[in-house]
Amino acid sequence: MQFNLDVLKINCAEETKRVTQFVTEQVAKGYRRKGVVVGLSGGIDSAVMCALAVEAVGKDKVVGLILPERESNPVSSQYAVSHAKELGIEFREIDITPTVDSVASYSQRDEFIRKLIPGYTPGCKYNITLPTDLLDRASFNFYVLQVKLPDGTLEKKRLNLEEFRTITSFANIKIRSRMIHLYAEAERRNLIVAGTTNRTEFILGDFCKYGDGGTDIEALAHLYKNQIYQLADHLAVVSEIIDRAPSPDTFSLPVNDQEFFFRIPFDKLDFLLYAWEHQVPVEQTSKVLDISDEAVKRAFKDFASKNHATAHLRVPAYSLDGDVS
Amino acid sequence: MSNIDTIREFVVENFLFGDSAQLTDEMSFLENGIIDSTGILEMITFLEENYKVKIDDDELVPENLDSLMNISAFLDKKLDGMSVPKEEGK
Repeated sequence: MQFNLDVLKINCAEETKRVTQFVTEQVAKGYRRKGVVVGLSGGIDSAVMCALAVEAVGKDKVVGLILPERESNPVSSQYAVSHAKELGIEFREIDITPTVDSVASYSQRDEFIRKLIPGYTPGCKYNITLPTDLLDRASFNFYVLQVKLPDGTLEKKRLNLEEFRTITSFANIKIRSRMIHLYAEAERRNLIVAGTTNRTEFILGDFCKYGDGGTDIEALAHLYKNQIYQLADHLAVVSEIIDRAPSPDTFSLPVNDQEFFFRIPFDKLDFLLYAWEHQVPVEQTSKVLDISDEAVKRAFKDFASKNHATAHLRVPAYSLDGDVS
Repeated sequence: MSNIDTIREFVVENFLFGDSAQLTDEMSFLENGIIDSTGILEMITFLEENYKVKIDDDELVPENLDSLMNISAFLDKKLDGMSVPKEEGK
């Protein structure tokens, strides 16, 4: 098996052609709609997807929705607007705070966090993180709630399963609220909803079923994050978006994707994932990436565990005939 | 009932839906898909509540928790107040 630091390199012009052809076909023949709506998060994936949609069907048939809620990082909307303007597409910003609040209120969530960390008061910033140093040491995936208290100190608490599930369910309401707004727009204007999940997220399960995973097409799901960056350069995505660290932007205290989910630095993650998917031997992988065999084994184990634990996200629903797809 | 039997019963009931045939004492939970990463959190709560022990973050390593035998040995040491394996470098 050929494995080197060039394995993820793509021909961006060809890849753009391939994806745009797919998008065009899906709009015109698959769904028979008039265009595409993309949720613009201010991150790299949605920026690339939107640029590809413009290449595919033209800027007049692409709508960008910017969907912040009250805990979103304000620069996310700012970058999304700047990218939409650069592309020349129609875009609109909708504050989804009332939608989120109508399902499970922020005050209910605040109360729950206060039970875990009594110093928490509404307005305190918080996030949840995993240990980020999987390549350096073995440890399980346990989440820690971090709250920045009014005096500036950071208080932490390890979450048990019930606490983790509760906080995740609150966070996923935000993501699913965006899906509702995207589909409202798509139905009203006869558009398809284009997803923005990349292969790294898809294989490891870093997306929310019926949230950012609730879409009509997933035109990036075959591309590793590393390849999304290559396309971003090729498509001249605005530099603020390319340069910012990937983040779920779901929690008020900033957290990047490595801390929130992947546990492995981005310069190694996709190469390791490629090696795991293509059954590249551990010794060959460690040599090419200049890391220990043990580090590679830990990464492979974590991939297998995450892929197995999130298998249900990748099928629409099970039925007696298998999955309903 | 010995510790290992109590933990086996917990694993079989909660993760294998009563099917104990596939579980051996040495089998890695994660490698064999018996318990996933969220299941480990469930196991930690069970151990802390059932045995009244406090498991520190740096004790959450496969060497302590990734098989019936590892958990049993880990628990024996915790309950005896002995030192237990912690994450590398600590």
